[in-house]
Amino acid sequence: MAVAEENMMVKVPVFETKNFSLVRGDRELFRGLDIEASPGTVVAVIGPNGAGKSSLLMALTAVLAPTSGECVIQGRAAGSYSRAELATLIAWQGELPPTEFGLTVEHRLKLAAMGSGDSGLMHHAVKEMGIGVLLSRNLAELSSGERQRVEIASVMLRDCSLWLFDEPTSHLDLQHQVTCLNMFRREARKGRVIVTVLHDIQQAASVADKVVLIDGRGGIECGDVRAMMVADKLESLFRVKLTTISLDGCEVHLPDYRDHKDMGER
Amino acid sequence: MNSGKIFGSIVLSLILVYVVLGAGEAWINPFSPASAMEQTILWELRIPRLLIAFAVGGMLAMAGSWFQVLLGNPLAEPYVLGVAGSSATGAILLMTIAGSVWLMSAGAFAGAMVGIATVMAFAYLGTGRLLLAGVVLAAFWGAFITLLLALMPEHDISLAFAWMMGDLSSSDIPTAILLLVWVIALLYGLSLSRSLDALLLGERHATMLGVDVPKLRRTLLILASFVTAIAVTAAGTIGFVGLVIPHLMRLLFGSLHRIALPASAFGGGLLLMLADAASRSVIAPAELPVGVLTAMIGVPLFLWLLLKRT
Repeated sequence: MAVAEENMMVKVPVFETKNFSLVRGDRELFRGLDIEASPGTVVAVIGPNGAGKSSLLMALTAVLAPTSGECVIQGRAAGSYSRAELATLIAWQGELPPTEFGLTVEHRLKLAAMGSGDSGLMHHAVKEMGIGVLLSRNLAELSSGERQRVEIASVMLRDCSLWLFDEPTSHLDLQHQVTCLNMFRREARKGRVIVTVLHDIQQAASVADKVVLIDGRGGIECGDVRAMMVADKLESLFRVKLTTISLDGCEVHLPDYRDHKDMGER
Repeated sequence: MNSGKIFGSIVLSLILVYVVLGAGEAWINPFSPASAMEQTILWELRIPRLLIAFAVGGMLAMAGSWFQVLLGNPLAEPYVLGVAGSSATGAILLMTIAGSVWLMSAGAFAGAMVGIATVMAFAYLGTGRLLLAGVVLAAFWGAFITLLLALMPEHDISLAFAWMMGDLSSSDIPTAILLLVWVIALLYGLSLSRSLDALLLGERHATMLGVDVPKLRRTLLILASFVTAIAVTAAGTIGFVGLVIPHLMRLLFGSLHRIALPASAFGGGLLLMLADAASRSVIAPAELPVGVLTAMIGVPLFLWLLLKRT
C-alpha cells in the first residue's frame, strides 16, 4: 500500500506547526503560523515577491531553522529527522536544476526516484506530464516549461506523504497548468498533503483547501480557502484593486491590468 | 548502447597501450623485444613510466570531476583552488633552501597540505565564495613562485621550470603507491556516486534527496585535494587532463558517476600516457614538456566532440 494511503486510514496530521516564526538576516519573514494539515489537504501559499514563501517551504523541511515554534511531521519535530529520513517523507519541486553537466531527462528522473525504480510510477508520471518524447534529450535543450514539467514529474516519482511545490505552474502553458492542478487534487485524494506556492489567485482558489497568506512584513495568516480568498484580504496583500464577479456560484477576483492614466491617449 | 561504447573503449585502450609502449626514440615491439637492451628499456623505463602516467592522469581526471561537481562549475579543474600553486611553492622553496631534488617532493607534498588547509578554512562559506577564495589563493601562490624564481640563482631556474611543467620520467612516490591511491580514490569515489549524482542537481535538490550536503562538501574537498596533492607531488603540474577528461567522459557515457567516474579514471590515465609517449617521441632523444602535449591532444579532441554534439 502506498505511503499516502496508509496515512489516510490513520488520519494523523501529516504535518502541523504551532507559533511558527522565521527571521532571515535582519528581516522577520513571518510570525506565529499555526497550521494543521491532515491527509488529503492541499495548502496554497500566496503573497508578494520576496515575502518568504519559498523560505516557509524550507523551514517546513528543516533546511532553515525556525526562530520559534516547530514543524511536526508525522508526530516528530522536523529537525529531529536526518536528511535521509526527511527525504523519504517529503518531496520538493523548486528551482530548475543546472544544465551544465549534461544530464538527460531520463537521468534526471532516475535521480529523483532515488533508486526505487518503480516503473509503473515512472510510466504514469512521464505520461501525465507529457514528457515521453523528451526522455533522451539533454536538460539544456529543453524550454523552461518543459523543464518544469520534468521537475513536476520528478516529484510524482516520490511516494511521500508530503509534497512541496514552489511555483509549479510559473512556466507552464495553459493546458499543463490545468493538468498540474488536477493532478494535485487527485493525489491529495489519495491521502497526500500538498503545499504549493502559487502566484495565480484563481489557481489557488480552485485547488486549495487551505490558504496561507504571507505579507513579508511578519504577517501570516492561515485558514479555510473560502475565508482567505476574499477581495479585501487579497487587495491589501497585493496592493491592487480587484473586481469580484460570481461564476457558477463561486466568487472570482479579477485584477484590472489596464493603465487608466494611459487610457485617454489610446 | 553503452555496452558497445565500453567495448569500443576497451579495444581502443589496448591499442593505445601497445602504441605507447612501442613508441619512443626507436620503435620496440612490446610482444617481442629484439634484444636484451630493448627488453631492459621496455621493462625498466617504458612500463614504469606508463604506469606513473596512467595513475597521475587518472587521479587528475577524477579530482577534476569532483571539483566540477563540488563547485557546481564546469570550468573547475584540480588546480582551481590553488593546491598546485602551493605545492609548487613548497617544492621550489625547499629546493632553494636545501638544494636537493629529493626534498622537492617532500616540499611539494607539504606545500599541497598547506594549500588544502588554507582552502578548508573557507569551505563553510558555500561554493561561490569557496571558488573565489581558491582563485585568489592560486594567484597568491603564483606570485610567491614568481618571487622565488626572481631571487633564485640562474642554474636553479631551469630545474624549477622543469618541475612545474610536469615530468613523468621519475616519481619520488613509488609507482605501486600511486596505483594504490588511484584504486582507493576510484573505489571511495564510487561509494559516493549516488550523493554525487544528486549534487548534479544543485545543493538544494541534493539536500531534498537526503544528502547531507555540508558533510559531502567537506569529504569531497579533502578527497579531491588530497588526490591532486599526490598527483602534483609525483609529476609536477600537468594541466588540462583534469578539465577536459571529465567533460569528455560525460559527453560519451552520460553524467551519472557510476559510469562517468571510472571512465574518467581510465580516460585521464590513457590521455596522459598518450601525451607522455608523444612528448618523448616527437623530438627524441629530447623531450617536450608533457603538459604542452596534454593540451595539444586534449583541446582538438574536446572541441571536435563539442561540435559533433550540437
